[in-house]
Amino acid sequence: MYRIRFHGRGGQGMKTASRLLGTALFKSGLEVQDAPRYGAERRGAAMFAYVRADRQPIRERGNVVSPDLLLVADDTLFQVPVAGVMAGVTAETVLAVASTTSEMIWRDRLKIANPIYLLPHSEVVADDDFPDVSAKIAGAAARLTGLVSEAVLLQAVEEEIAQFGPKAVKLNLHAALEGFQAMAAGEGSVRESADLPADSYEKPEWIDLDLDLAATAAPNIHAAANSVQVRTGLWRTLRPVLDPKICGKCTWICGSSCPDGVIGVDAGGYPEIDYDHCKGCMICVVQCPRHAIAAIPEQEAVDALEKTKTAQLKGMPS
Amino acid sequence: MKESQFKAARDLPSSHILGAGTAMCAGCGGLGAVREVYDVLGKDTIFVNAAGCMTLLSVYPFTPFRGSWLYTAMASAPAGGQGVRDALDIRLEQGSLRKDEDLQVVVLTGDGTANGIGLSATSAAIDRQLDFIYLCYDNEGYGNTGQQTSAATPHGARTATDPETGGMPGRKKDLFAIWTANRPTYAATVLAAEPLDLARKIETARSLSGPRLILALAPCPPGWGFEPSRSVEIGRLAVRTGIFPLKEYIDGRVVHNRIPHPRLPVEDYLKPQQRFAHLFEPQRDDKRIGEIQAAVDAYWLEVENGHA
Amino acid sequence: MTRALLTGNAAAAWGARLARIDYLPAFPITPQTEIIETISRWIGEDEMRCRMVMLESEHSMLTAAGAAASTGVRTFTATSSQGLLYGMEMLYTIAGWRVPLVLINVSRGLSAPITLEPDHNDILAARDSGCLQLHCATCQEVVDAILIAYRLSEQPQVRLPVIVNLDGFSLSFTREPVSLPDDQAAAHYLPAFRHDAAEFRGGHPASKAVAVLGGGAYSYFRYETHLAALAAIDAYDDAAREFEQQFGRRYPSVECYRNDDAEISFVMIGSFATKAKDAVDRLRDAGHKIGLVRPFMLRPLPEADLRKALVGKSGIAVIDQNLAPGRGGILHGEVTSVLYGQQERPATVLSYIGGLGGRDIVIEEFFQIAADVRAAVASGATPAPRLLYTRNELTDMRKMQAAAHVEATGDGAVDGTGGAPSKETTA
Repeated sequence: MYRIRFHGRGGQGMKTASRLLGTALFKSGLEVQDAPRYGAERRGAAMFAYVRADRQPIRERGNVVSPDLLLVADDTLFQVPVAGVMAGVTAETVLAVASTTSEMIWRDRLKIANPIYLLPHSEVVADDDFPDVSAKIAGAAARLTGLVSEAVLLQAVEEEIAQFGPKAVKLNLHAALEGFQAMAAGEGSVRESADLPADSYEKPEWIDLDLDLAATAAPNIHAAANSVQVRTGLWRTLRPVLDPKICGKCTWICGSSCPDGVIGVDAGGYPEIDYDHCKGCMICVVQCPRHAIAAIPEQEAVDALEKTKTAQLKGMPS
Repeated sequence: MKESQFKAARDLPSSHILGAGTAMCAGCGGLGAVREVYDVLGKDTIFVNAAGCMTLLSVYPFTPFRGSWLYTAMASAPAGGQGVRDALDIRLEQGSLRKDEDLQVVVLTGDGTANGIGLSATSAAIDRQLDFIYLCYDNEGYGNTGQQTSAATPHGARTATDPETGGMPGRKKDLFAIWTANRPTYAATVLAAEPLDLARKIETARSLSGPRLILALAPCPPGWGFEPSRSVEIGRLAVRTGIFPLKEYIDGRVVHNRIPHPRLPVEDYLKPQQRFAHLFEPQRDDKRIGEIQAAVDAYWLEVENGHA
Repeated sequence: MTRALLTGNAAAAWGARLARIDYLPAFPITPQTEIIETISRWIGEDEMRCRMVMLESEHSMLTAAGAAASTGVRTFTATSSQGLLYGMEMLYTIAGWRVPLVLINVSRGLSAPITLEPDHNDILAARDSGCLQLHCATCQEVVDAILIAYRLSEQPQVRLPVIVNLDGFSLSFTREPVSLPDDQAAAHYLPAFRHDAAEFRGGHPASKAVAVLGGGAYSYFRYETHLAALAAIDAYDDAAREFEQQFGRRYPSVECYRNDDAEISFVMIGSFATKAKDAVDRLRDAGHKIGLVRPFMLRPLPEADLRKALVGKSGIAVIDQNLAPGRGGILHGEVTSVLYGQQERPATVLSYIGGLGGRDIVIEEFFQIAADVRAAVASGATPAPRLLYTRNELTDMRKMQAAAHVEATGDGAVDGTGGAPSKETTA
């Protein structure tokens, strides 16, 4: 059985990617399962979808625990522990990542020796801050499995996307083809993983649950506002960055327009954005009367910040 | 009435008591309203929640609340509010609770619940003169399940269950009118995008007792189809086009707090939203747009004539 | 202590009064309504200090009850039949809230067709809700069960709602002598409500009944509710022992009547069990070694006590006043599963469905059931489950159908041999 897992953010089309690949594999004569995995998270939050394909009817169910092929639509997700991107990855897992960072660097960062293929940046952009990469990543996956021909892939895209109109079909056909062609070097590199033998397995560590008193054993929380431990800042793909030179310190405007209430006031009277929790809605960017807040791609902002830090460190007297 | 502590926007609180880190969507107009309401009511508030988007405010083991929260079910949140209010009153009377341990009871529900499955429980709570604030975040559809048509979906809006047709064929239910017909202590429409107006109204509601409605229009980026960054702008357009009148009911009278002048054409509000895109593409549907405009015009004519 | 003639409904109201309830959210439904009317009158006459509020449905009533119990007041409420089912979502919910309160259910058959008369399908629909269940056979038991139920419900290891069940009509509207504990004795047995477990008050953050993601957290909370319900077995025994010490009335979780040396046992719950006792006496007079086993507590299911009562018998007849269409008697399934795998388990367990929608079970039927069990024990063949239904009843039914212009046609329409298969199973 082939086990394939797609990781992305809500809004990036991972469900669509799994359906496109699922349909393409099904049309290629395989038995298929595909499903998205939803949590309570919203647009921008980490999510995943998976596909199983086999020559036999598939009996396995639920999440793909150990993927043969792992596709990552957003390379910033590797830094998000709750995303669980690397969960169950073995030495045999093939990786494909939408990234401009080289595969060498990724192998070094992830401390793995697996094959990693890079997906090119797409020309297909559904909207500005959330490129929908579903068709491209599905095309790439199809090629890496070596089970789907170009023609069947395009048929699958046509079928699945038809409901969104001819314009969407055209864009997605193009994207799927782009993904498919980019993976020529890795065609068929994904290997089916073996079934778990029944006579050698890790014994489940079952325990006998004890009775806890209701104060503990009911779904109640006695902490106050501990939701701040959830770093919704990780949803962000764009970062609002204030230019204090332009800012007029009318903090009640950006401050009260932020739905999450993550814009406070610093000691100097300037708005202070809590990047741990800012979800990147960019309302403040639109609402700022002086246009003092700019929307910067998250990775760019992080890189710039690191450069500044390094420069400061260098400039410090030893 | 005492003078408002919120004389200008700069008097609005600059730090907030609702914790960040909730699972609400980026740009959620409902979350903005809840946060602003909580800032004015303070932490000694219990939110009694009906199933909806806001269910996910608190997901074990995390909560954004500094006070209390009770998740009930879709149909019966006002009854949960009744139980809490009655028990607090019993305990205050018995002396087993100090006056400073009392809580303001707020029932928190979406429009699907408010206008449908939960309407009976709400109506009965008003009959009983329950001392509570009913905060409805109106995102005009069953938002948490992917924006299906609710009784609050506006005429002509496309939803997940009215996708291919001309959108919602019926009319949006008038929850404000249902409430005021039953003479509550207070009723007001608010939205997060008008924080000063909202804060003053919550201040008024807080000073009163009995059944009080706060109906908050909640622009919903994924449900209505617009970029999260435009959430505040869309809300303001709802006011400036006259589609969402800012008003309050107090002492038996409805007062419009802001009569938009000049009133922008409704299409300024409709056009930026994907749910109304079929009114403009592939061809402009002048008839439907005209109908929506006519309904808004008729409303404001009644206001001018003193009938609304 | 005074002795008075009381209906089951009045007994329920007395139980609430003696328990010094603080709060009663209510909604009327026959045959329960007298309970809330009685308490309402007492409140009006200053006999009781309690806040009563009329809700607009049982769903809301149970929500208010659970919310009030979470806020720290002793809460009581009552319903029946359709009302219990209308509130079913909240029954599961308040069990998950882990709140102490007592709910009376006055058993009545379920729609469709709608009826006012009793059977146990309503209460058994709540079997898996997480609420505990006590099943009364007399009006005396109703008063006593309410006091015991509060002790159980408020026990820190348990903290689950308890439903006290009494049968409509045969208890609810029937007067019989009841010994009423005096106020002091009741207060001694059931101390004042403890507020320390209350969730909601200013200055104390509490988010209650929050959503969970994932099966790990969900499994934990659900299973802890199960463990708490199981802990109620011992907690019940303690509460019942103390009750007996103080009031002299004994309520084992499983009542056994002339059962110790019995070869055959009837198994029943509810008020018709007293009729079974009568039948046991007559059968004993006739020389048959027979007894009655009556679970007073059905949730948690006192499995050990049930086994102790039934293992070693040669035959059992389970008489169910309920019907799970497509399965049969619900109690029959519970009893047989408890016996499965036991050495010396009875080889013969017969299933009878009787008393649906207020239909009587007459003493001759108990005699015949006993005869059936004896025959089955002798032959080793267990007959198919039987509905207690006579030729005369079918004849009357046919007359009504004729009047309704829905005459039956075809084989077996009138002779009473059609319908249920008569196949026999060999044990």
